Amino acid sequence: MHHLPAYILLFVALSLLQIFLLNNLVAGSFLCPLIYVAFIILMRLDAMPILMLGCSLAMGILMDVTMGMAGINTIATLLIGFLRPTLIHMVSTREELREDGIPSPERMGANLFWSYLVVMVLLHHTVFFTLEALSWGHLWRTILRILLSSGTTLLLVWLTARLFTAKISTRS
Amino acid sequence: MRRLVEFIRSIYVVVLFILLELAALSYYARATAYTEARLLARTNSVIGGVNGLISDIGHFFRLGGENRALTAHIALLEEELARYREADKAGRLKVELREMGESKYRMTEAAVVSNTVGRAHNYITINRGGADGITNGMGIITPDGAIAGYIVDYSERYAVAVSILNPVFRGSGNPEGTNYQGAIRWDGRDPHFVTLEGLSKYADPQPGQKVLTTGFESYFPEGLLIGTIEEAILDDVGTTYTVRVRLAADLSAMNNLVVIENLDYQEINDLQKSDVIQDLQNN
Repeated sequence: MHHLPAYILLFVALSLLQIFLLNNLVAGSFLCPLIYVAFIILMRLDAMPILMLGCSLAMGILMDVTMGMAGINTIATLLIGFLRPTLIHMVSTREELREDGIPSPERMGANLFWSYLVVMVLLHHTVFFTLEALSWGHLWRTILRILLSSGTTLLLVWLTARLFTAKISTRS
Repeated sequence: MRRLVEFIRSIYVVVLFILLELAALSYYARATAYTEARLLARTNSVIGGVNGLISDIGHFFRLGGENRALTAHIALLEEELARYREADKAGRLKVELREMGESKYRMTEAAVVSNTVGRAHNYITINRGGADGITNGMGIITPDGAIAGYIVDYSERYAVAVSILNPVFRGSGNPEGTNYQGAIRWDGRDPHFVTLEGLSKYADPQPGQKVLTTGFESYFPEGLLIGTIEEAILDDVGTTYTVRVRLAADLSAMNNLVVIENLDYQEINDLQKSDVIQDLQNN
């Protein structure tokens, strides 16, 4: 259970960023970055599935309540939290898992790390924006929103990952 | 034995996941725009303070533009006032005022705490609530008199309005100078445009013509600016126009608002829901 204070800090920092900064930014209707998924993405590689579900639920509900979205954040976040252990097993070897580390390009290799980020963010944003639009009438618009927002989120998640792993490695 | 434990453990996570997703989905499926507004109104009593601070900072940098808009509006009002003064001189005003009676609308100013334009359902949160006499059904307009939304829920110190950029927004408008009206709807695409649907073919809408409120919804008085006509398309049968209207209010840059209270709203609302009317609708 080491790193616990760091993860609490990450949860609080990401929530505050999302609620007070990103939700207030008006950058056109196509850019809605959701940086809070970084919390799910950066959980330890060997985190238990049940812990993943619990964290996804907590983050999802907090986001729903503050954005007034009635469940969409919870649905999308639970899904990536549930699929993450499977995904991790696909992109990393057993030795890496046993090392009990945080996902990072050094540990997983830059290519695998980026594919992991892209799959997680795209999955989450696809569910989120599809449910939000809830009609196939604006299909192209929705796809564009998914792609542009995912791009921005990816950049933010990558920055968060760099900051977070830098902090952890100087501590331990 | 260990395998069995492993199996149960993996199954139990899957089952839990499915149950949680189902719960979230069913909550989402039953949620309406008003549930969302209620969520926002409740959380704003907690996070509203910080959001207000952030919007104050943004506000500071837009003061210049806002001042110019206000001055322009004051100039317009001065012009109108000058006309009344003239009328007063001619001794006509006293008679006219007596005939007009007291206005049934009352205005209050408010500041935007948070506001979205990029979502599929957009809401405006303002820093006035039940303690300031805000109730549901009050209209909100920009300081230069363009409509922006109406209040659907409120807490002690904050209130949430459905923005005109929300599919549940109900309103009607008519092109300036005509008596033909249509329904105002947002199609969920561009935050600068709404459509005016079901406008009669006799209305003859022209690009650049203003679209004003009808006063039928009792959220807004008659004659407030909604926007200007961008283009009008006659439908296939040739009976109604669908008109694309460029919104007069820039919803992405709102700081201060005017809240309109219709003193007759409750009475009209009660009357529309009276037993006699309900019976008629059911038959």
